[in-house]
Amino acid sequence: MNQALVTGLNGLSYAFILFLLAAGFSLTFGVMGVLNLSHGALFVFGTYVGLQVIDSLSYFWLAIILSAAALAVVGFLLYYVCLKRLYNRVPEQAVLTIGLSYVIANVVLWIWGPRAQIAQTPEIFAGALKIGALSFPIYRVFICGVGLLVLGLLWWIQDRTRWGAIIRAGMDNKEMTVSLGVNYGLVSTLVFILGIALAGVAGVLGAPILGVYPSMGDNLILLSLIVVVVGGTGYIQGTMLGALVIGLVDTFGKAYIPDAAMFFAYIIFLAILLVRPSGLVGRKVF
Amino acid sequence: MRRERRSLVEVGLPVLVIAVLVLVLPLFIPAFVSSLVTKMMIYGLFGMSLNIIWGYAGIPSFGHAAFFGAGAYAAGILILRVGVSNFWLNMLLALVATAIIAAILGVPAFRVFGVGAGAANPIYFLLATIAFGELLSRLAIALRPVTGGSTGLSGIPEPDLGLGFEMTSGRYYYLVFVMLAVCIYIMYRIVNSHYGYALRGIHDNERRMQALGYNTWLYKYTSWIVAAVFGGVAGVLFAYYGGTLVPNNLAMVTSDIAFLLVIMGSTTTFFGPLVASVVYVGVEYLASLYLPDRWPLIFGFMFVLTIMFMPDGLGVWILRGWRRLIRGAAA
Repeated sequence: MNQALVTGLNGLSYAFILFLLAAGFSLTFGVMGVLNLSHGALFVFGTYVGLQVIDSLSYFWLAIILSAAALAVVGFLLYYVCLKRLYNRVPEQAVLTIGLSYVIANVVLWIWGPRAQIAQTPEIFAGALKIGALSFPIYRVFICGVGLLVLGLLWWIQDRTRWGAIIRAGMDNKEMTVSLGVNYGLVSTLVFILGIALAGVAGVLGAPILGVYPSMGDNLILLSLIVVVVGGTGYIQGTMLGALVIGLVDTFGKAYIPDAAMFFAYIIFLAILLVRPSGLVGRKVF
Repeated sequence: MRRERRSLVEVGLPVLVIAVLVLVLPLFIPAFVSSLVTKMMIYGLFGMSLNIIWGYAGIPSFGHAAFFGAGAYAAGILILRVGVSNFWLNMLLALVATAIIAAILGVPAFRVFGVGAGAANPIYFLLATIAFGELLSRLAIALRPVTGGSTGLSGIPEPDLGLGFEMTSGRYYYLVFVMLAVCIYIMYRIVNSHYGYALRGIHDNERRMQALGYNTWLYKYTSWIVAAVFGGVAGVLFAYYGGTLVPNNLAMVTSDIAFLLVIMGSTTTFFGPLVASVVYVGVEYLASLYLPDRWPLIFGFMFVLTIMFMPDGLGVWILRGWRRLIRGAAA
């Protein structure tokens, strides 16, 4: 039982990392219909930038900010130079961004070398929280806290702000939204940048848990697409639900049935495709 | 898509010239180059098989390596674990296995074709097919006693054709050529049959085809299996070619090659992926000589440059030039 609770926390923190990673992925294709398969490789790039900052300046918070900022710049360039002219041509977007993810992964390998990086837990969050006989690592609790904060923020933006209303309107009918005089291009560009910057936050936060190596993006992009399909697109709470399901199942699977664990995510994925192809809380967009 | 009446010269001449060229080529080039040409032919077939569903039916599958790898693994397992030594029997059984896998995976895949997207925007379908290849490659890692786990299968012998002569890599070149020629002929007949035109119709306007009484689901589903089987042929040939199989032959890394071939060769021409395969294998060989560490970078840039600067692909470009040449000469 005690073991299960600790595993549960591990699963939860993993789920929140997945959420931060997949939220950007889901936002860009749920909101804009842009399939950015280089999201995983960009995540890795952001993580390496963050670790470099921690290495040379040893400021954890600065690392998060700079990593997010670096990815925001790259994301902006990616959107303006490449993706903007591929509007509504999803296979082309996918091909382009897959190519880009090879390029980015190889550049990361070039700059930082092939060895896996060791990321230390920042000192303020070292140690464990003791409740009775149980001890929870503080860092994992912290990750859950940040994840909840971002979830709350995105949910608030989606449901309560003018921006959220514009985004939701644009999902339903882009032409109509634009013709009402809304600067939809600006909003969707900012959403795209926000989504990629979130990947940078996830990268620095997740580095001590996930371990960091140049080719980790391939696996992460697969996990985030499974999260998005399971949760359903178009709603931030769908992505959270998908991340919770995949994160917990994966962690408990690895803890109790390690041999079969790597299939659980795929089995859930196939089951969702067969039974409820629009995802757990998804709706039919486009 | 416009139906054009092609003169015998326009289609027949280049086919004949290229076929003769490829046949006499091994007499003039060193063995390692003819081995590269063998690889070009295998990858070309792989790309053309994907083009059946992508270019004609408009179904961009991103997990085509699942079938390439399934064919290759089926052949490898049959040779090394079951002991089927005859090439033809092996090919047949491997293709049946590939078709079964495609039939199974096709059911969930076409559940989502169009969900959350509509036929013009098959995001979910892309995501699903990417995951299929990964799923199969993980199965190949997990089923160690059968598939050799993450080290894969190695030591696949030269094929035994049952014709009473020893197979060498020089002769394998001709075997691949014959298989490629047969497959190209069959695929050409398929895409230019009534069935092929129905697929093009679905690509252009699925609603209209439904209104005309076509069961479009069935057409898409069967074209998926047909493409898988031809991908399987390429896989079997690849298994004999390299003699070694790894789980990555099923995974996204290999699927990426297939759709680079399709997009670079252009989705609107039949032979495009074959041309792209020549370029791809050539660049890969040069990169392995001079810049082995930067190969993924070059590979990635091939995608980006194709999409940014040559979105129509090489095939369209060549076809346009050839038609101009022919018409110019005739006029």
